[in-house]
Amino acid sequence: MDTRTAITELIHRSGLIMDERDFKGYLDLCAPDYQYRITAYSPEIRKDMTWLEHDKAGMKSLFENLHRHNSDKSPISRHINVCLVDIDEAAEEASVTSTIEVFRTTLDGGETELFAVGKLYDTVTLGHDGPALRSRNVRLDTRLLGYGYHIPF
Amino acid sequence: MSRNAVEWKQTPSFPESHYVDTRIYTEEDIFLDEQRKIFNKCWIIACHESEIPNAYDYRTFSHPGGPPLIVIRGEDMKVRTFYNICPHRGNTLLYEPVGNAKRITCIFHAWSFNATGDCIDISRGKEGYQDRFGCKDAGLREVKTELGFGGFVWVNVDDESCTLKEYIGEAMGMLDEHLDQPLEVFHYHKAIVNTNYKLWHDTNSEFYHDYMHYFNRITGMIQPGYFDRKYTGYPNGHASVGSMAIKYDAYEGSKARGVGWPGLAPGGWVLIDIFPGMTYNLRTSVLRMDTAIPLGPNKLLIEFRGLGLKSDTPEQRAERIRDHNMIWGPFGRNLHEDLLGVHGQGLAMRERTDSRWVIHGREENMTIHDEGGMRHFYAEWSRRMGRKAYDPYGEQAVAAK
Ligand code: FES
Ligand SMILES: [Fe+2]
Repeated sequence: MDTRTAITELIHRSGLIMDERDFKGYLDLCAPDYQYRITAYSPEIRKDMTWLEHDKAGMKSLFENLHRHNSDKSPISRHINVCLVDIDEAAEEASVTSTIEVFRTTLDGGETELFAVGKLYDTVTLGHDGPALRSRNVRLDTRLLGYGYHIPF
Repeated sequence: MSRNAVEWKQTPSFPESHYVDTRIYTEEDIFLDEQRKIFNKCWIIACHESEIPNAYDYRTFSHPGGPPLIVIRGEDMKVRTFYNICPHRGNTLLYEPVGNAKRITCIFHAWSFNATGDCIDISRGKEGYQDRFGCKDAGLREVKTELGFGGFVWVNVDDESCTLKEYIGEAMGMLDEHLDQPLEVFHYHKAIVNTNYKLWHDTNSEFYHDYMHYFNRITGMIQPGYFDRKYTGYPNGHASVGSMAIKYDAYEGSKARGVGWPGLAPGGWVLIDIFPGMTYNLRTSVLRMDTAIPLGPNKLLIEFRGLGLKSDTPEQRAERIRDHNMIWGPFGRNLHEDLLGVHGQGLAMRERTDSRWVIHGREENMTIHDEGGMRHFYAEWSRRMGRKAYDPYGEQAVAAK
């Protein structure tokens, strides 16, 4: 598989695996120094905001605590479209820009609603074992998320 | 034992102050009455001063009583508020949430206004109105505005209202000394939930529902001092809950909080509910401010703000943001649960679902699981509405005669 295809598959897989709530599987796609963020811009306060920020250990403890919380149980579906893959061979790294739409399907009757849209800005490290996620910034356009969600996008 | 229809509808065997009729959450006529008698009479937070730092900065605000507003800082740095309504043919003047406008020009027929609300130009005014109508007749409608209690911009659309200070009274006493440094909003988001605004305010007024929050149970409820926290009710329906030491590191993945807050003990937590729908929630390193803007009896917009000190270093600010997000962001471990709770209430308490009563019957010496905070709220609600929360249509009163 060529590098570009491997990177594209990694990004898509990261979405599919989270849709399945396979959190361990997701963490396996991440490099040890993984950094995850959800950010958005608020015109109301004219500021960039960070809504969630975790390293790999932080993501792990978030996932492990989830079952102790009361959460919306509706499944969500992340539709990712990889747009730009910028490979830096020398640095063994790639920058990837994707669009993401998140849909939520209600528990009663399975009606699906668009939950959020935004972009993924990912850094992918390229090692012998294939590409791994080094950082992800989920940049949301949607800032109105109703009663919210416990699982990151 | 389960209950049949008659038993379900029977008035609860509590004092009248200890339960309410669920129609106060669902009926359109009661909501319209609340807009007139509560929201259009009370002081309401429109925004924070840090959102309009410079001369001519403005912020639009949809007042819960109905009028769309513009909050704007003048050349003299004074903050004023006007209806966002053109006095010509009623067009919206400003559309964006924020901006900077030395001159507010209506897009419809180009009438212009300045930041003190004066009309400064009527296009072809002389030709069209001759001397029958001019700029002096076309000023914007100004709304009472005061800055206070942490630098928030408070508005009151009732020209006859008391001052903000009189309205708040002693209610902010527990926070006063912690709010004397300039603050800055670093987080803003809003949520629309199909529920009634009072149910949201109730959730902010009671801690019995800490059973819902794993984070609160672990870091608060099982820690010493939790059941000593006391409610205090103040005139005008406000209430406060005292501090305790929260043990943040009891939750896996969470750390003891590094940055504190001026004057607040480490792990401290003070919460003050301001009638009819605003909550100050100072938790160790972050001040969260909720403002409720009902859009209908069963539709609520809540604005969430997270504030730190204006003097924060970048490191301190980053830490406050992390502390905030852990529990209070849209993906936080605590807020989502609160919103799910009131969403569930809204779902059950729609019209025609045959919901009937909501019980506020817990008495625990006005400590943290006592439902006295809500009883205090509904006493004020009843006073202002001229309706009893337990009997909003006077049916019980009639039946008793
Ligand atoms: S409606 Fe504003 S100028 Fe005519
Ligand atoms: Fe709560």
